Amino acid sequence: MKIDRRCFLSLGIGGAAGIALSPLPWKLADDSAIWTQMWPWTPVPADGEVTYVKSACTLCPGGCGISVRKVGNRAVKIEGVEGHPVNDGGICPLGLSGLQLLYGPTRVKTPLKRAGERGEGKWIKISWEEAIAEVAKKLGDLREKGESNSVACISGSDKGTVPSLFKRFLSVYGSPNFMRMPSIQDSYEIANSISLGFIAQSGFDLEHADFILSFGSGLIEGWGSPVRMIRANSSWRKAGIKVVQVESRLSNSAAKSDKWIPINPGTEYALALGLAHVIIRESLYRNDFVHAGALGFIRFRDLVLSNYSPDSVEKITGIKKETIEALAVDFARSGRPVAICGRGHGKAQSSLGELLAVQALNALAGNIGKEGGVFAVNDPAYIAWPAYQVDEAGAAGIKKERIDGAGNGKYGLAKSLTNRFAGAVNSGLPVSLLFVLESNPVYSLPDTKAVKDAFKKIPFIVSFSSFMDDTALNSDLILPNHVYLERYEDVPATAGLSKPVVSLARPVVSPQFNTKHAGDVIILIAKEVGSPVSDAFPWDDYQACLEGTAGDKWKMLNEEGFSSDPAFTAQAVNTSPGKFDLSGGVADLSILFTPVNLEGDPKAYPLLLLPYDSFRIANGYIGDPPFVIKTVEDTVLKGKDILVEINPATASANGLSAGSYAILKTPKGSARVKINLFDGIMPGLVAMPRGLGHTAYDNYLAGKGINVNELIGTLEDPASGLDAAWGIRANLIKA
Amino acid sequence: MDSALIPKGVKRCPTWQFALWIGAAGAVLLWGVFAMLLCWFKGLNQTNMNDSYGFALWIWADLAVIALGGGAFFTGFLRYIVGKDELKNIINYAVLIGFICYSSALLILAIDIGQPLRGWFIFWHANVHSMLTEVAFCLTCYFGVLTIEYVPLILENRQIDKVPFFHRISHNLHEIMAVFAATGAFLSFFHQGSLGGVPGVLFGRPFAYREGLFIWPWTFFLYTWSAAACGPCFTILVTWITEKITKKKLVKQNVIELLAKISGWMIGTYIIAKIIDTWYWAKVTAPASGFNLMDFYSNNPFYGIWILILEIVICGVVPALILITEKGRKNPVMLMTGIILAVLGACVNRWVMVLQVMAVPVLTFESWAMYYPSWQEVATTILPVAYGVILISLSYRYLPVFPQEQELNPEV
Amino acid sequence: MKEEQNHEKAKQFGMVIDLDKCTGCGACMVACMAENNVPFKEDESKKLDSITWLRVYKLTNGKPFPDTEICYLPRPCQHCGGKGNHGHSPCVSVCPATATDYSKETGIVSQIYTRCFGCRYCMAACPYHARYFNWWDPVWPDGMEKYLSPNVSVRMRGIVEKCSFCFHRYQIAMDKAYYEGRGELEENEYQTACTQACPANAITFGDLNNSGHAVHELKKDKNAFRLLERLQTNPKVYYISSREWVRRAGDNYLKTEKK
Repeated sequence: MKIDRRCFLSLGIGGAAGIALSPLPWKLADDSAIWTQMWPWTPVPADGEVTYVKSACTLCPGGCGISVRKVGNRAVKIEGVEGHPVNDGGICPLGLSGLQLLYGPTRVKTPLKRAGERGEGKWIKISWEEAIAEVAKKLGDLREKGESNSVACISGSDKGTVPSLFKRFLSVYGSPNFMRMPSIQDSYEIANSISLGFIAQSGFDLEHADFILSFGSGLIEGWGSPVRMIRANSSWRKAGIKVVQVESRLSNSAAKSDKWIPINPGTEYALALGLAHVIIRESLYRNDFVHAGALGFIRFRDLVLSNYSPDSVEKITGIKKETIEALAVDFARSGRPVAICGRGHGKAQSSLGELLAVQALNALAGNIGKEGGVFAVNDPAYIAWPAYQVDEAGAAGIKKERIDGAGNGKYGLAKSLTNRFAGAVNSGLPVSLLFVLESNPVYSLPDTKAVKDAFKKIPFIVSFSSFMDDTALNSDLILPNHVYLERYEDVPATAGLSKPVVSLARPVVSPQFNTKHAGDVIILIAKEVGSPVSDAFPWDDYQACLEGTAGDKWKMLNEEGFSSDPAFTAQAVNTSPGKFDLSGGVADLSILFTPVNLEGDPKAYPLLLLPYDSFRIANGYIGDPPFVIKTVEDTVLKGKDILVEINPATASANGLSAGSYAILKTPKGSARVKINLFDGIMPGLVAMPRGLGHTAYDNYLAGKGINVNELIGTLEDPASGLDAAWGIRANLIKA
Repeated sequence: MDSALIPKGVKRCPTWQFALWIGAAGAVLLWGVFAMLLCWFKGLNQTNMNDSYGFALWIWADLAVIALGGGAFFTGFLRYIVGKDELKNIINYAVLIGFICYSSALLILAIDIGQPLRGWFIFWHANVHSMLTEVAFCLTCYFGVLTIEYVPLILENRQIDKVPFFHRISHNLHEIMAVFAATGAFLSFFHQGSLGGVPGVLFGRPFAYREGLFIWPWTFFLYTWSAAACGPCFTILVTWITEKITKKKLVKQNVIELLAKISGWMIGTYIIAKIIDTWYWAKVTAPASGFNLMDFYSNNPFYGIWILILEIVICGVVPALILITEKGRKNPVMLMTGIILAVLGACVNRWVMVLQVMAVPVLTFESWAMYYPSWQEVATTILPVAYGVILISLSYRYLPVFPQEQELNPEV
Repeated sequence: MKEEQNHEKAKQFGMVIDLDKCTGCGACMVACMAENNVPFKEDESKKLDSITWLRVYKLTNGKPFPDTEICYLPRPCQHCGGKGNHGHSPCVSVCPATATDYSKETGIVSQIYTRCFGCRYCMAACPYHARYFNWWDPVWPDGMEKYLSPNVSVRMRGIVEKCSFCFHRYQIAMDKAYYEGRGELEENEYQTACTQACPANAITFGDLNNSGHAVHELKKDKNAFRLLERLQTNPKVYYISSREWVRRAGDNYLKTEKK
C-alpha cells in the first residue's frame, strides 16, 4: 500500500487521538508527579525505635543537662533535661545544634600527621600507636635534655577529670605550664585572693537577688552558664526585680534591662567607685561586713571620698551625677543587691581595679556569702587522686617559672595568665611541645598575628581537637578526641554558679570515626613515657579513672545525670563578716584605679573598636554550626562581609552610610567591613562581633567575616598581669 | 522555493531572507529554551526571585500577555456578538495574537511553578475557593477555544485547503465561529476577572485587597475591563509593527480607527472606574487596616508614588483622551502614542498588582526589598516574544491573515 | 446542644509569647530547624531566601541614642482562623491545589508538601512572611543526613513550607493517648519544639479553648496583642509586652490615630 500524504496525515492524527485517549499519558503524568514526590536525591530518614539518652553538654562552660532523642542508632535531636539544676529543660542554640558537630564535615576522622606546611591542610593518616609513640618519644627526649618545662598545655578548662589528667601529666613529667583559656574568672580569682585571702571563683545566687547591677556583662547573652542566666532573667521579670545595665552599647542585655545607663567604655571602675562614694558618704553600707575599722576599708574610703565624688565620676564616665546618686541609693537600699562584671560572655579578663571596685559594692551591700549574693566557690572537690612520686628531673622542671608568669613575683596571685602566653613565647621563652585540649587559641586569643608568630616558634604542636578548627589546622599532629556525644566525661558547671553542679556526659552514639578519648590518650602517653610518669596513672583506662573518681556517686551520676551535692561538687566558702578586705595587700590603690590607656594614637585612630559577644555567634572552642550561623542577622553578616555597628552620627562624621564598605584600621591590623547603622551605640564607637572570621571549619563558617582578634591586642594590667584591654583605638575610612 | 505555500495574490520576501529572519528569532528562542531548561532541571534558584518577590517578572509577563491577549476575545465579541463587521479585517490577526499570548502564558506558568510535573494538580486537587483555580480552568478552556479559532486560518493555507476534508472542516468552522467567539468572550470575562481576583481577595495584603460584589473584588471587574480596553490596542500595535516590518499597509485605517475609538471609550470608562476604585481604596479600605495611601509608596527603594501617576494619568487618562477624540485618532503619531501608552498602562497595572503586592511590607518591622531579574528570567520572558515573532512570521507568510492585504497592495 | 458539645471539643492550639521574657537568643529558631529537618545552605545571610519557620525579628523604637530600645519578636506561622474563626485563613482559601488546609479539629494550618506544586500564591496571601519557598534542593553534607528525623518528611525543592506547630508531635501524643485508652491529651503531652527549648520560658503553648491550659488565661493579659489584628486574619499567636511601642508595632496605625 502506498502511503500518500492524506493517509499519513490521517494516521498521524488518528494515532495522536488514540494515544491521548489511552491510559498512557495519564499514567505518565501520574508517574512523573509521584517521582517528584520522592526524588532519589532527597533523603528519606529511616524509622526506628525512639529512645532518649541523658547526657551533658560540653560546648561551653555552662554545663547544661541534655536529653538526646535517638531513632534506631541515630541521634536525631538534642533537648534540655527538665529538672536539671542548671538548665531545667531549657537549651541554647549551640546546644541544640550539637548533632551538626557530631555528624558534621569538620570532624577529624583519624589521627593525622602534618604533611605540608603548617596551616596548609595537607595531612597523612597515621595509626593511634604510631601517633602516641611519636608524642611519647618527643616527650622522652625533652625530659632527657632537662627541658621538660618547655612542654606546655593550653586547655579550655582546668576543671574536670580530663583537664586534671593533663595537668597531672605535666606535673609529674616536670612542667608547670598547664594553662587554661582566659576568662573573667581569672580576674575574679585574683580579686578574691586579695579581698578574701584565698583563690576562689565567684558564684552568684542570682535567682534570689533583688537588684541586679551589671557592668557590661551579657547577662542574657551568654555570660556565665547561659541558659541558667536567661532563666534567672525570666524569674526577675516575673518578680519585678530591677536590672540595671551599664554599657556603652545597647546590647540585648541592656535592651532587656529595666534601666540602661550608657557609659564611656572602660570607665566602669570609676562608676563603681562613684557609687561606693555615695554609699559610704550616706552611710548606707553594712558596717559589720566591711569591718569599718580595718585598714583596708579606711584606705578605700579615703580614696573614693576624695577622688570619686559624683561630680568627678560624671566627668570620667559621662553619666549624670544625679543618676549616680540615685543608682547608689537604689542599690544600697535593696535587700539583696548584686553587682556583676565581666564584659559580654565573660570570656575576656578585666582589670583588677574594675573587679575590686565592683566587688567593693557587693561588700558594702553586705551580700557576700549570703542568699541572693556573691559566693566564693572552690574548685570541684571530687577529684582527689592518690599522690604521685616525682623524680629529680620532674621536680626540677616543675619548680621552674611558668611561661605565662602566673604564680610568680608580681603575677603571684594568678593561677593562669594565658593572655601573656604569646608575648612570652615571642620574647624568647622556650616552648618545645604544646598540647592543645578543647580550645582554639589560634583563633580565640587576642592579637592573632602575635599568637600565630608564637605558634610558629613552637616546634611541635599536638591538638586533641575533634574538629579541624583553626588551631588543629596549625598543628603538627592531631589526636582527635571523641565528640562529647560519643564519650563519658564529668562536666562540672562552675561558670558563675553559686552552687556548682557536676553532670555526666555519656555516649549517645558509638564513636563515628577512628577517634579516641583524650583521657585515654593522655593515659596511654603517660604509660609510653614510662616511670615515674606512668606510675602516676594507675588506671587501666579513662573509664576506670572516671568511675574511680566518682566513687559512690557514680551510680547516681549515671541515673540522674548530675550531682549537686556540695560535698561532691565544690564547697562555697564561708565568708564571715569582717573578713572582707577592700584593698587587701595592694600597697598603692591608685595603680588599680587608673583608666586603661588603649593602644594607638588618638589622632590617627579617633574611634574606638569594641568587640561584642552575641548569643548567636559562638566564640569559644566551638564555632557556629550551620543552624546557628543561619540565625545570625543580615545586619551582622551578609555573604562573607561582616558588618560593624556605628551610630548614625559616627557614620555621617566619617562620610559613611548604611551598607557601605569601609576599611577598619587599628594599630594591630586592618579589615574591610560593611557599615550597619545602629542608634543604640554611643557615637565614636565601632562594635564588631566576636566569633566570625574563622579560617578553618567547614564552608558554612570558614571565611565568613573577620576575626576581631586580628584587630585587637592585649594590654597588661600593671597591678595583676591580667589583660585589661576592652577594645582598641580605630579608624574607619570609606572604601 | 516555498512559493506553493504562499497565499495567492500577495508578495512575500525571498526565502533566504525569511530563513535569516526566522534564524535570528530562532537563536533568541533557543537562548530562552536553554534558560527554561536550566530552571526546570536546577530549580527556581536560577532566578532572582525570593520570598518577598515570589511573584516576579514571569507572573507579571504572564498577566500582561493575558491582558494584552484580551484583544482576541474583545475583538471577537465586537465582531460576532455586537456585529461590528469591519472588524473581520483584523479578527484573524487578533486571534493569532491572542493565541500566541495565551500559549506563552501557559508556557511561562509551566516554568514559574516550582514543581512543573505536578502542575496538573491544580485540576486534580482543585480548590474551588481559589481564584487561581478559576484562572487555570478558564485559561485552559479559552486556550482551547483560541486554538479552534486559529485552526480554520491554518486550514486556509493554499495547499491544505486543497484537501477536501480540511476544506470542509474549515468551512464548517467558519459557520459556527460565532458560537466559539461567544464562548471565548464568556470564558475571558471570567478568567480575566479571576486574575484580577487573585490580588483583590488577599485580605492579608492591604495593598491588593479590594472590597467588591459578592465573592468578586472590584479588581475582578477592573481586570476584565482593562483587558478589553487595552487588548485591542495591543492588536493595533502589533499590526502597526507588522506593517512597518513588511513595509505594507495590511489593514485599512478605518478598521484601526474604529477599534481605537472603541478602545478609547473603554479605557476612558475603565480609568474612571480605576480612579474611583483607587480613591475608595485609599480613603476607606486601606485606612481600615491602618494604612495611608502614601504608606504604600514611601520607603520604596525605586519608584515611589510615580508608578501610580504613571499608571493612572500617563498611561490611563492620556491615552483615553487621545483615542476618544477624532483628532487624536486621525493623527498617526498621536494615535500610536495613545495605543502604546494604553498597552503600557495595562502592563504597569499588572506589574503593580503582582510585584508590589508581595513586596509592600505589611508587618511594621519589615522593609521593602529590591529585586532585579536574573538573565534566566529575562531569557525565559523573551522566549515567548521570539516564539510569537516566529509564529506571526510563519502565519503571515503562509496564511491569509489579512483579508485586505491584496486590495491594499495591488501587484504592480 | 450537640453543636455546643462539638464546639467544646474543637481545639484551638495557640501560643502566647512573652516578649518581656524573650531575650532574642535564637534557641527557638534552632529548635525548630532541628525538629523539622529544615535545610540550610552555605550562605544563609540572604534572609529572603532562608527558610526559618520560626523567625525572630529585631524591632527598634527608632529613637536616637541613648533613647533607643530594641525588642525581639519570634514569629512562627500564626495559624490564622480568618474572619469569624471559620478557618478562612489568608493562605488556605487561595491555594489552588488544596495543599494547605485548616483543621477544624485543632485549628492548625497544615501544608501537604507532596501536593504543593509551588505556585507561591499562599506566600502572596500571608502578610506575616511565615511561608517559605524551597528555592534550592535541600542538601546535607555527607553524613549529616544521619540526624534527620523520620517524623517530619524532608521537603523537595520547588514547594512551600511553613511552621506546623510541630503537628507530628500532636499525632504522636494522640497515638499514645489512644493506645492508653484516652481521648484527650494533657497540656504537657503536646508542646512544640520551640516552646520546649526556650530557655526563657517565654513561649506558652496549648489549647486556647481549654480553660485548664495556661494560654487560656495568658491571652487575656492586658498587654496581650496579636500581629496585624486589623486585617481580621485572627491569628492564634498572642504576644505580651509591657512596652507600648512594641504593642503598637504589632499593627499598622494611621498617623492621625491616637495611641
